[in-house]
Amino acid sequence: MSIKARNNVRVDGDGPMTIFFAHGFGCDQNMWRLLAPAYAKRYRTVLFDLVGSGGSDLSAYDPRKYSSLEGYADDVVELVREFSRGPAIFVGHSVSAMIGLLADLKTASLFAAHAMIGPSPCYINDGDYVGGFSRQDIESLLETLESNYLGWSSNMAPVIMGAPDQPELRLELTNSFCRTDPEIAKQFARVTFLSDNRAQLPLLATPTLIVQCNDDIIAPVSVGDYLKQKLPRSTLRVIDNVGHCPHISSPGQCARAMDEFLEAEGL
Amino acid sequence: MSQDAVRDVLDAAPCGLMRTTPDGTFLRANRMFCRWVGHDEAALVGKLKFQNLLSVGGRIFHQTHWAPLLAMQGSISEVKLELLHVNGSTVPIVINAMVARDGDARVHDLAAYVARDRDMYERELIASRKRLEELVAETQRLHDEARGRASYAEQMVGIVSHDLRNPISTIQTAAAMLRRDVAAAGKERMVERIARASERANRLIGDLLDLTQARLGGGIAVKIEPIDLHTLAAEAVEELALAHPGRKIRHVSNGCGECRGDASRLEQVIGNLVGNAVSYGQADAEITVTSSIDADGCSIAVHNFGPAIPAELLPSLFEPMTRGEASGTSKRSVGLGLFIVKQVSRAHGGTTEVQSSPASGTTFRVTLRGGELPPR
Repeated sequence: MSIKARNNVRVDGDGPMTIFFAHGFGCDQNMWRLLAPAYAKRYRTVLFDLVGSGGSDLSAYDPRKYSSLEGYADDVVELVREFSRGPAIFVGHSVSAMIGLLADLKTASLFAAHAMIGPSPCYINDGDYVGGFSRQDIESLLETLESNYLGWSSNMAPVIMGAPDQPELRLELTNSFCRTDPEIAKQFARVTFLSDNRAQLPLLATPTLIVQCNDDIIAPVSVGDYLKQKLPRSTLRVIDNVGHCPHISSPGQCARAMDEFLEAEGL
Repeated sequence: MSQDAVRDVLDAAPCGLMRTTPDGTFLRANRMFCRWVGHDEAALVGKLKFQNLLSVGGRIFHQTHWAPLLAMQGSISEVKLELLHVNGSTVPIVINAMVARDGDARVHDLAAYVARDRDMYERELIASRKRLEELVAETQRLHDEARGRASYAEQMVGIVSHDLRNPISTIQTAAAMLRRDVAAAGKERMVERIARASERANRLIGDLLDLTQARLGGGIAVKIEPIDLHTLAAEAVEELALAHPGRKIRHVSNGCGECRGDASRLEQVIGNLVGNAVSYGQADAEITVTSSIDADGCSIAVHNFGPAIPAELLPSLFEPMTRGEASGTSKRSVGLGLFIVKQVSRAHGGTTEVQSSPASGTTFRVTLRGGELPPR
């Protein structure tokens, strides 16, 4: 099976640099639809779905391989090797920010920069570290996933097809957003929300942008501060946004933060 | 209709109706919804966000999955969530949500209904699924077990056929020679051969019957009665020494006292263990049979020098059809010897253990705790 099919890879745009967009838990590459197109004018853009999410090849989902973020990071290394010309810029949302970090640590000079959107190295509070959740909270999430079987599999189709103010949204597209096999969602939730990559942060030598929302229950402000402190070459940008998906709710602010960072890094 | 009349209609609606800003802050909530969460509308509007009223799991689900979905699709239907009532109880609800416009502002309109029955039904479904999965796993296990047994039986038939053919062909050959007129001395040797081969065949059949009894009958039957363990062991060793000329087999006894057990079964145990020691032990070294009686009970141990039992063989050593690489002789067995030793020991309420190392050789020890004479 090709890597392209496995990860449902979409390549667009052209430019000297290649920029990868990796979606987070619970969604797929459609999440980048308000942000990625602008970058296709200056860069070669690569959008993909993590195996188990969206339009990825579900037959490639090996529960053993994906029982930790390392399995996803191995895929990212393969993707960058296959689709990037030279060192890549990796834009990772949420858990994918950490997947990008792990992929970077597996290889030498595969990445030129990371832009982490709403990242968190550890979701569970631990001593002085405030991740935002107790272990009990995470158990509650896993239970919610279990009891919301239909919520994942039936993809929660729109009440009325097509939003009135978003005519560009075609009907067939609305039916395929963020569809996830409930069993896979369950394991991915476990792997995501029980992950702890704090020990790896100081090892990342690549320049990194942290895009932190000022009101995000999944990745609270304290987490952004912690990342800024632990990532050796990091820039922290706090943006005015409620929620965990600023690339959907505040794409303009996200793009500004990214553009300034990329310019400062000469990328 | 006037604004107030609309408000009355919405308040009286048999479902929860809310309008929020795109970040979830309440702009309106009808009476039904307020009742579900135990807040006044005034306590919600401008102050709380819809996601604040969800269980933590629901909040993460909202943030990672359906909020972005709503933003992209413009609307979503049938999201199941749990509302937190101010008193700590929870209310399962199903909501539809839609992005709408209020003048220039984007707003979210939400409609919810309580879904206790659906919640219960889903929980039952999940429980049934779990039960079904367990059942499938159990069936698979039984299936594997049955297949294992079937292939075991086939292998067993193969080995037994092979092993029975040897003594029987010996008997046939000897009988054929007897039919011809052979000298008296030769005749005696032929008869002796027939007797030994019959004994071998008989022993094999006996082992098979023991296996059947142990497997199907719940254990080997023993007849426990007072015995003299040391004398029994001494006699068994004497016979075995005769049967294995050229091998040094020694008997050592420790302690004295009475013992209870099944004499012929214990002879079988000594026979099987010594048989193994002869097959697998160092040919020029002594085999020692020790019978002990002490405060802890009675035991029989058989020691031989020679290479250690391979570690990978140890876990299944006492299972039927386990056998090692016999040194020298091409003596074959069904691999029931140690299985029967263990079964006999178990029937005596005792245990079987083995210690094996290249330096100190191999010792099998069988205890007969159940064979202790009860105090009178």
